[in-house]
Amino acid sequence: MKSVRLLVALTALACSASALADINVGVTLSTTGPAASLGIPEKNTFELLPTTIAGQKVNWIILDDASDTTRAVTNTRKLIAENKVDVILGSTITPNSLAMVDVAAEAETPMISMAASARIIDPANPKTKWIFKTPQNDSLMADAIVGHMKAHGVKTLGYVGFNDAYGEGWLGEMKRATAAAGITIAAEEKYNRSDASVTGQVLKLIAANADAVLIAASGTPAATPHKELKARGYKGKIYQTHGVANADFIRVVGADGNGSFLPSGPMLVYEQLPDSNPIKKVAADYVGKYEAKFGQRSTFGGHAWDAAMLLQRAVPEALKKGQPGTREFRAALRDGLEGVKEAVGTHGVYTMTATDHLGFDSRARVMLQIVDGKWVLEK
Amino acid sequence: MNLQIAALLAQDGLTNGAIYALLALALVLVFAVTRVVFVPQGEFVAFGALSLAALQNGAVPKTIWLLLAMAVIATILELVALARRRAAARAYMLAVAGWLVAPALVAALLWFAAPLKLALGWQVCLAILSVTAIGPLLYRIAIQPVAQGSVLVLLIVAVAVHFVLGGMGLLFFGAEGSRTPAFTDAMYQLGGINVSGQSLYVYGVSALAIGGLYWAFSQTLYGKALMATAFNRVGARLVGISPNFAGALTLTVAAALGAFSGVLIGPITTVYYDSGFLVGLKGFVGAIIGGLVSYPLAAAGALLIGLIESYASFWASQYKEVIVFTLIIPVLLWRSLKTRHHEEDQ
Amino acid sequence: MSAGAPRSAFVRRWPVWATLAALAVAPAVVPQFYVTLLNYIGLYSLVALGLMLLTGVAGQTSFGQAAFVGVGAYATAILTTMFGWSPWLTLLIGLLATAAIAMMLGFVTLRMSGHFLPLATIAWGISLFYLFGTLPNLGGFTGLTGIPALSIFGFELRQERHFYYLIWAIALAALWGTHNLLDSRLGRAVRALKGSLTMAEAFGVDGAKLKSIVFLYAALLACVSGWLYAHLQRFVNPTPFSLTASIEYLFMAVVGGAGNVWGAVIGATLITLLKEVLQDFLPKLLGQTGQFEVIVFGILIVVLLQRAPDGLTPLVQRLLPRRRPADPAPAPALAHRAVAAATGRPLLEVLDATKEFGGLVAVNNLSFELRQGEILGLIGPNGAGKSTMFNLISGLLPLTRGNVRFNGETISGLAPYHIAARGLARTFQHVKLIGQMSVLDNVALGAFLRTRSGVAKACLKLDGDDEARVRYLAAQQIRRVGLGAQLHDAAGSLPLGKQRVVEIARALAADPALLLLDEPAAGLRYAEKQELANLLRQLQGEGMSILLVEHDMDFVMGLTHRLVVMDFGQKLAEGLPADIQRNPAVREAYLGAA
Repeated sequence: MKSVRLLVALTALACSASALADINVGVTLSTTGPAASLGIPEKNTFELLPTTIAGQKVNWIILDDASDTTRAVTNTRKLIAENKVDVILGSTITPNSLAMVDVAAEAETPMISMAASARIIDPANPKTKWIFKTPQNDSLMADAIVGHMKAHGVKTLGYVGFNDAYGEGWLGEMKRATAAAGITIAAEEKYNRSDASVTGQVLKLIAANADAVLIAASGTPAATPHKELKARGYKGKIYQTHGVANADFIRVVGADGNGSFLPSGPMLVYEQLPDSNPIKKVAADYVGKYEAKFGQRSTFGGHAWDAAMLLQRAVPEALKKGQPGTREFRAALRDGLEGVKEAVGTHGVYTMTATDHLGFDSRARVMLQIVDGKWVLEK
Repeated sequence: MNLQIAALLAQDGLTNGAIYALLALALVLVFAVTRVVFVPQGEFVAFGALSLAALQNGAVPKTIWLLLAMAVIATILELVALARRRAAARAYMLAVAGWLVAPALVAALLWFAAPLKLALGWQVCLAILSVTAIGPLLYRIAIQPVAQGSVLVLLIVAVAVHFVLGGMGLLFFGAEGSRTPAFTDAMYQLGGINVSGQSLYVYGVSALAIGGLYWAFSQTLYGKALMATAFNRVGARLVGISPNFAGALTLTVAAALGAFSGVLIGPITTVYYDSGFLVGLKGFVGAIIGGLVSYPLAAAGALLIGLIESYASFWASQYKEVIVFTLIIPVLLWRSLKTRHHEEDQ
Repeated sequence: MSAGAPRSAFVRRWPVWATLAALAVAPAVVPQFYVTLLNYIGLYSLVALGLMLLTGVAGQTSFGQAAFVGVGAYATAILTTMFGWSPWLTLLIGLLATAAIAMMLGFVTLRMSGHFLPLATIAWGISLFYLFGTLPNLGGFTGLTGIPALSIFGFELRQERHFYYLIWAIALAALWGTHNLLDSRLGRAVRALKGSLTMAEAFGVDGAKLKSIVFLYAALLACVSGWLYAHLQRFVNPTPFSLTASIEYLFMAVVGGAGNVWGAVIGATLITLLKEVLQDFLPKLLGQTGQFEVIVFGILIVVLLQRAPDGLTPLVQRLLPRRRPADPAPAPALAHRAVAAATGRPLLEVLDATKEFGGLVAVNNLSFELRQGEILGLIGPNGAGKSTMFNLISGLLPLTRGNVRFNGETISGLAPYHIAARGLARTFQHVKLIGQMSVLDNVALGAFLRTRSGVAKACLKLDGDDEARVRYLAAQQIRRVGLGAQLHDAAGSLPLGKQRVVEIARALAADPALLLLDEPAAGLRYAEKQELANLLRQLQGEGMSILLVEHDMDFVMGLTHRLVVMDFGQKLAEGLPADIQRNPAVREAYLGAA
């Protein structure tokens, strides 16, 4: 027990190191575990952020939740109780963020999630009063894809996606969007991120003979069914989701990726945006900084950058209403976030309302085609 | 499902099964000699493929830093052990040469050769070499100190090593996967089905490895003696086999097999830093079906897993893992009831 | 236990009281986040406790414990959110569901041995994990929200500080119950499951049934932990019930060690705190967050197990005051088997017994009988098949052909524990004692069939009366064989000769009608052999029949009434010791060589 006490005491010492009047921002990200490819660029992005907002010192306290819900909740409680954070950023994935909602709301601490599902900020749940998010809802992206399909004469769709929360979110949205657009889903297949082979699923997709196939997966694992479809001679259109929007996907999918379509935040192709688009400048700033330090861009890092941008918008006003570390400050911060109007981020323009804690419009998505291993904006 | 789809699925299942079989062989080998259920075997696979991918880009695989760190630790452990035994000066020199200089040479070779972007064959050799060198070091550092422990303790140590290597894999190679170039781009037509040259390589190597190990352990004296260490460490020492040497040698072979499996599947599928675990687990299932002692049976078990998996992913992809892992339970039960066991094995 | 003066017993247990007091005041004095951690430690301790029993004590490695946690969590999550049922009702349903699943899985997997068992647990652990994610209406991989808070008598346990008391009340109750269970009739048998199953079965333990009981017990503890988890987090998704989580529970159980129920708490505490400490310190040390934690965590586990392969509990116990248990107080005798005096009626009849191992015939058409009240010697050169014959009688091995009758009833084909119940007790050629357990407990295991207390009685300490009788009886038998001074020593610490004598005491504790002794005098000195011979004569005088396998001819000749000589699995001769000594065939085969 003695050594246990010592450990506890040491932990306490380590946690209480941060000074008082600074703004403490608690961040929990999935930098290890299955969602690591999403969490790592987010973590990297925090190294690019300023250490002051409105003249006030900001401590970014970053914890890893290993893509695990229990860990995410523990991190949140730790950040709130030990680090006395004024706001929580994270987590990377939907289940973790959903599990954190109750904790953040009960501690009356605003939280900005970087996960996809609209459920996180469902206005029907009173607790989401405290919850915001920066990535596009799956529904926004699904509508973009279905719109594109409809315009290109797709009547039947084969679906193959991750057997996890990401795939689940997409399948739900696609069912809704395709039903509205009169597209039938001819096959519905699942696979796991690290599956070595998806031959079975792909053979079934090909047998279904759909006009197009959507692969709802993220990162390089999305290339596995893509390459298999091509290898088995699938001739229809292949759609990917914005989960693949990084250079590694292009590296692995190689020439097989050419000709496929995907929706994305505009950040990925900011160079191709017209100069009149306000996002271009913001994205150029972020991508420039990121690529200088970490190499290739990833849209997931952009979500973290946007979350910090929202904070930068809301903090100055909140500072007038209370000291960091107080309940007043957190409440004011929440109000400030909800009051954000026309805030330009790397992924879109945020205009929050009481019932929309994301605040994106169609400017937050573009359709891309992969041409010669490059992302090309669909005009 | 028509006949052609059935055949395609069978081919897919066989290819995966052959990889599982290679892992199963390594697991049987390690268990037979050291009693360790070597969970981190899958990491060798991932390291092998990802090291090759790094070499393809002209980059030095970061595993050499792991190699060097382990070499230093192993040397210190060995020197301390020698000092305790008051060993002769020659023993110290041998220890330094074996545990420090040799791994350092491997690291140096990779350091200088990586930017040269050698031909694929040489890169494959380098990738395998760099992973193989980790094997004996891993034994010396993690397993040798608990080699006398119960199977459960050895298993837990193996799981902890899997965590360490998995974490290192993420650190060294990142979260995203890689593919490596095929050994051959040849394609053959076989009864209306395309068979890639690479998958023929996979079959061939698996068959060779099974045959080779079977021969080595049932026909050669040294192989038989190695097997004996598993059952009787004292006895093995009496006939002149050091259990520690046997353990280190076994992990060397296992690491080489793992890395080789890695470069074999690299062109067929995307390999991630954590790919190894599930592949290893399925290999493990194959090995267990073989009762952890028989190479041909282990290989048959692994092929069976590959086939079940392939058909399950066609019929009900959502429930694939459920089907695979539920179906093996009765197989395990059957095998367990068929195997006469010694209860005092703890 | 109950014999010491109450005050000193209280004082001697100060570490327990200090821990309880610390736990009681903790929520009032420690910072909020430590309450969070203590809550998790309590939840994990419950699961680790079950694993400690299942894996640590009973030797049944399970990689699937998290799945049972999941069953408990999902049962309550679904029924409370979708149907609005009371969480207390859903606890009951969760327990029933867990019991049903555990019985089914246990039925299949517990028959497996060696590595088949852990792998099978991995297999169904993974299957259940994916089922949580893929079965319709379970919230998928994304998860279920809106699980209500627990309330007790209308008081909602929304705050962690309040929930804490519920978690720890349950955890401590489980610790107390499990501690009692380990210290009971069943507990002694459970300790035998790892490595001494054949011995336990020879004393009436139905190994398969006992394994299922332990498996069920561990699964139910995990289920309760899951139920608490669901209402603490008020959110469930499959992630916390994955293989990784199961592995972590196993880490806790192994790192904690199996010696004591507190090992589970120590293991859960260490693993939980280690993660926190690493999360806090590594970034400061390395200037980077995230990816190093799992690496350092793994390294520390390896180092820890290298330094303490038996876990931390033995190390902690070494620091604590050691108390020498009191000798069992006199207690009323247990019911005694009525045995007729020496009648000469056949008690054990072996008819044409044959045992083949593959092509090897170990026992070939052997027939002999043992009469009520006699001491019969079974002798023969090494490898003659004597011990095989023993195992055929006690049911350890099935007969290939032939028949064994006991008291007029055919017993061949019965399980060893059924044979034991008919009044046979045996010793083993290769001593089978539970080394870490005291001589007293080892001998008390012999009396397994003489009392009936089950799990519930044992956990609630309602078996005190029976236990007192068994312990007193065991102490008496130990004194009778002359080991009264070694009552509380670990059985494994005795010299081999004395361990054989402990085996005799254990057999006596079973109150047999027929005692089967396999080389009881091996390793004894001359005077000790004389004492043993006297003891056996005395037992025979009390009406016990004895079958003896022995090498020491002087011992056999002086003691037995009749001899059966075996060679190459067959009967070579049978008769009075003096006749046998003169038998030329025997002399040639056996005595001549000696």
